[in-house]
Amino acid sequence: MNRLVSLFILCSLLLATGLSAEKKFGKKITLKEKTKISDILANPEKYNGKRVLVEGPITEVCKKRGCWIRLGSDKEFETMTFKVEDGVIVFPMEVKGKTAVAEGVVSVVTTSVEDQIDQGKKHAKETGEEFDPASVKGPKTVIQIKGEGAIVK
Amino acid sequence: MNWRRWNNIIHRDLGYFLVAMTLVYSISGIAVNHVADWNPSYKRQRAVLTIEPTLASTKESILADVLPKLNLKADDLRNSFRPDPETIQLFLEQKSYSIDLPTGTVIVEEIRPRPVLYELNQLHLNAPKGIWTYISDFFALSLIIIAITGMFVLKGKNGLVWRGIWFVGAGIAVPVAFWVYYLNS
Repeated sequence: MNRLVSLFILCSLLLATGLSAEKKFGKKITLKEKTKISDILANPEKYNGKRVLVEGPITEVCKKRGCWIRLGSDKEFETMTFKVEDGVIVFPMEVKGKTAVAEGVVSVVTTSVEDQIDQGKKHAKETGEEFDPASVKGPKTVIQIKGEGAIVK
Repeated sequence: MNWRRWNNIIHRDLGYFLVAMTLVYSISGIAVNHVADWNPSYKRQRAVLTIEPTLASTKESILADVLPKLNLKADDLRNSFRPDPETIQLFLEQKSYSIDLPTGTVIVEEIRPRPVLYELNQLHLNAPKGIWTYISDFFALSLIIIAITGMFVLKGKNGLVWRGIWFVGAGIAVPVAFWVYYLNS
């Protein structure tokens, strides 16, 4: 019994040493110069396909698989999605509200009405929020970053 | 020492060694298998409050107005953000407030990791990456060894060639039969 207790204490200590204020996800950050999210949103075509390093508060996290985070822009009323491949990076829910420095490639995609409705239904199912398909009025251009690596602090 | 004795030693000791890993993957396996029905890693609580509507327009003045109404201090905040002109989001440790400024409706969301299950799921889904990838590879290879050595633990009537063959056959039939059914359904 004493051996089991010792093993449990050892495991707890190991877990405690693994906790840190700053957490890295995915690949190492390679860029040094940050790009403002507001600049990308203002000139999406200029940045389409380009690698960028952005910083912002994490305003939302994918609740099911941690496969995306939403970053607040340097300007109010603007956000940008940082989407990672399912399973490659898993953002835990507790990063919500922290600040992320994130690197990836800008993607500008125009989404059809049908795809928006599909995504809206999926998002509503994930978040438990209501979604009205009638709220989709036409094709929508989505600007997001295909995420590769991030530091959350 | 003959080969069966070595077989049984490997099967027994590898089995002991992998008890914890087997529990990690099997318990988490059940949990994440039903991800469509629940969040296996987090417990989420939502509450709706109402405060006096806010007429302030800048972020600083809004914060000065809403924080006392919610019994919060500026130091409690991890971050704040305005996703649109009528909303402000306040982020605290494991808690967030989304305030609709014109109506004063506040959605409070609290997210807490499920004890133990969170850690098990993180390991199962290989969130840590790095060295854990190789540890889980070792676990998977070890399971193959345990499965193979398990067939040769006993000899005679309860061994593979008599009793065992029926159970091994049944175990093969389950996934094969299901796959055939799945393809044709």
